[in-house]
Amino acid sequence: MKLRSKFEKDGDLKFISHLDLMRAIERAMRRAQIKFSLSKGFNPHPLLSFGPALMMGATTHGDYFDVVLEDEIDPEKFKDDMNRTLPNGLKIIDCYRVDDKDLLSDRVVEGEYTIIIDLLDYGKDMGDIIERFLNKDEILAEKDTKSGKKMIDLKKYIEEFKILSVHDGKINLYLRLKISEGSPGPIHVLKALDDFAGHVFDLEKILIDRKKLILN
Amino acid sequence: MLDIKDKLDKILMKVSKPARYIGGEINSVIKDVNSVDIRFAFAFPDVYEVGMSHLGLKILYHLMNDRDDTYCERVFAPWVDMENLMRENDIPLFSLETKTPLNMFDIIGFTLQYELSYTNILNMLDLSKIPVRSKDRHGYPLIIAGGPCAYNPAPLSDVVDLFVIGDGEEIINELLDLVKACKKDGAPKEVLLRRASKIQGVYVPSFYREVYNFDNTIRTIEPLNEDVPAKVKKRVVKDLDKTYHSDRQIVPFINTVHDRIILEVFRGCTRGCRFCQAGMIYRPVRERSKKTLLKLADKLIKSTGYEEISLTSLSTCDYSEIESLIYDLIEKYKDRGIGVALPSTRIDAFSVNLLNEIQKVRKTGLTLAPEGGTQRLRDVINKGVTERDLINSTREAFKAGWRSVKLYFMLGLPEETMEDVKGISDLAHLVADVYKDVNGNTKGLKITVSTSTFVPKPFTPFQWCPQDDMDTIIKKQNYLKELLKGKIFHYNWHEPKMSFLEAVISKGDRRVGQALIKAWESGCKFDGWDEFFKFDNWLKAFESVGIDPRFYAYKERDFKEIFPWDVIDAGVKKDYLVREYKKALEGRLTNDCRLYCTGCGIKDLDEGVVCFETEK
Ligand code: SF4
Repeated sequence: MKLRSKFEKDGDLKFISHLDLMRAIERAMRRAQIKFSLSKGFNPHPLLSFGPALMMGATTHGDYFDVVLEDEIDPEKFKDDMNRTLPNGLKIIDCYRVDDKDLLSDRVVEGEYTIIIDLLDYGKDMGDIIERFLNKDEILAEKDTKSGKKMIDLKKYIEEFKILSVHDGKINLYLRLKISEGSPGPIHVLKALDDFAGHVFDLEKILIDRKKLILN
Repeated sequence: MLDIKDKLDKILMKVSKPARYIGGEINSVIKDVNSVDIRFAFAFPDVYEVGMSHLGLKILYHLMNDRDDTYCERVFAPWVDMENLMRENDIPLFSLETKTPLNMFDIIGFTLQYELSYTNILNMLDLSKIPVRSKDRHGYPLIIAGGPCAYNPAPLSDVVDLFVIGDGEEIINELLDLVKACKKDGAPKEVLLRRASKIQGVYVPSFYREVYNFDNTIRTIEPLNEDVPAKVKKRVVKDLDKTYHSDRQIVPFINTVHDRIILEVFRGCTRGCRFCQAGMIYRPVRERSKKTLLKLADKLIKSTGYEEISLTSLSTCDYSEIESLIYDLIEKYKDRGIGVALPSTRIDAFSVNLLNEIQKVRKTGLTLAPEGGTQRLRDVINKGVTERDLINSTREAFKAGWRSVKLYFMLGLPEETMEDVKGISDLAHLVADVYKDVNGNTKGLKITVSTSTFVPKPFTPFQWCPQDDMDTIIKKQNYLKELLKGKIFHYNWHEPKMSFLEAVISKGDRRVGQALIKAWESGCKFDGWDEFFKFDNWLKAFESVGIDPRFYAYKERDFKEIFPWDVIDAGVKKDYLVREYKKALEGRLTNDCRLYCTGCGIKDLDEGVVCFETEK
């Protein structure tokens, strides 16, 4: 059977990579003595799949992973057993059964983010800047891909982008991005906006939280 | 300390592998710092990934934390990017568990695994705003050190307050009790050290003086007071079955060097390789019973969730019940995908069955360590491996589907000639032929040949030997580079300057220790890492304290000479080492002492020391 778990990764665990996260979940399952299915061949590994990787330094409160289990297990029990053994900072918030053929990668359509970032220049009207930014015909940004750098048009991916609040020299933003093969992350959008506005952000002091992945 | 945590959050984004500094791993221990009497910082003078793979840390961390009155936390050497940011932002070195600055601990315990990490010790103290010389420290934490390199404490004598010689778990409780009592009484450091020096296995360097002869050799190492022992005897755990063993091990988030359960099957080694320090200082052999091991393995698997369990010791295939142990472990856990590994153990005369069993679950690398290129040289070093062993084991491995082999050798061994160097390449080619024989061609074959450079180590039969000079080593390495051309061969070698420095420090006296401090002051750290190794700084440091490093590495020693480490009694007797050295020169073998006792003297160390022979 296949279970889909919605989880959060918070606190210091934002500093662990996607690969580290996968290992941590696998080992937590072993500690919880969950009988997961193994791949065939040399070096068997659990049939685990994750949604799109999160950038290092970002937190999430609604990412997903799927796992195939040998035995029938009540999703609630899976969740509780896992939460007892996961390290601080990792937590399963929801768990349900899905069809074996249901692939997480086909399901993920959007990601919702909140971003808190230090402003270098408080004088500017950020609301106005963002409006003009979004009204451009094209928002070009450079993205690293497997085959080198590539220019992409961010506009195709930005579904929603707005200011939530500004205080204490920090701006709090809301961003919703389409997710597909090779789609950009929030950091690309922030860099492009920073360029457009003439360097208004302290890009070293930035907190990104993926509020959730949206599945279809 | 909230302060450090706040600052960390800002800088961790900018460093490589920030997870090195966060703590919070499964099975790490969080305690209320106000509820304990003693705070102990276990300090490993290298990066997190290296330190977290170390067995001693795993044992002592949980041993100490199982005491209600003690809180043991961990600290590693920050990588250079982190160090720079820490200095820039005025962040002192801190413990992983509670982010407490190191100078607030009662004890900082360094483990000494290799000499080239010594400058990191100084750097870590400095990052903690703690003076590096013990004489400049008043009211500061007690700096202690243990581990294999502590067997020659001389080079760190100005830095470390006290050394712990032998098995840590045997001695640490007594030490903690003492520190607790002294803290309660408000006893000053001097008094504490005085009382500590009465504990067997504790060496307090400030109570001794090194006196030199005109030729720079040592005349005496003498106690300054009559109530400290003339020789410090090592401590050994007598029964490894009954001693402390933890059923938990910390599970790091990031990949470490050995990212798996470490199950120690026995301690010590009976083979008697003449270059091997570990084989001598960890005597006698003490095995754990299979029953204990299986029980322990089960608990560790449950508590860690690891997917692999590695059976460690100096020579795991020598374990009395190795086949049935591996068989049982594999049978029990294979459905869950948990594999067994024999890492770093040099599988020489391993059995085919073992290999096939192990690879049922998980394929591990095949590593063989003939050490010497010819039989003559292997007899000199007492490495009981023959060409036939090598052929047989690789043949079976290739038949079972292995495609790559690692072969370990040492260059510059006593009595080595160019013929022996060529022998290394001959063996590698022989293995290639075996592969061809099995598979018809060399498709897919990869043979990695690694040579380290012989470093004469204290307490070995070769402690009197000179090291090859660097030019000679380079010549030998170049020769091998020539001989090992071709796609299937990969040749790795050690940087000769590093091996030279290792020899100098290994056999160093207190004067080398002064140079060590100078070298660190001039910017040396992470000396074992190519990108940071500053050989010129070291040479200048030696010059500035007026010593010639070649004296330490290249001089052939006289049997009558007093060594800086003669103040330590490692149990194995000097006359045994002399005998072994002489036999080496004659190319005569000494049998594995599991067969019958070869008289190393360890049995006389303490009452109750039982070695393999007495058991039989
Ligand atoms: S006393 Fe004999 S049997 Fe025991 S370790 Fe020494 S040589 Fe081996």
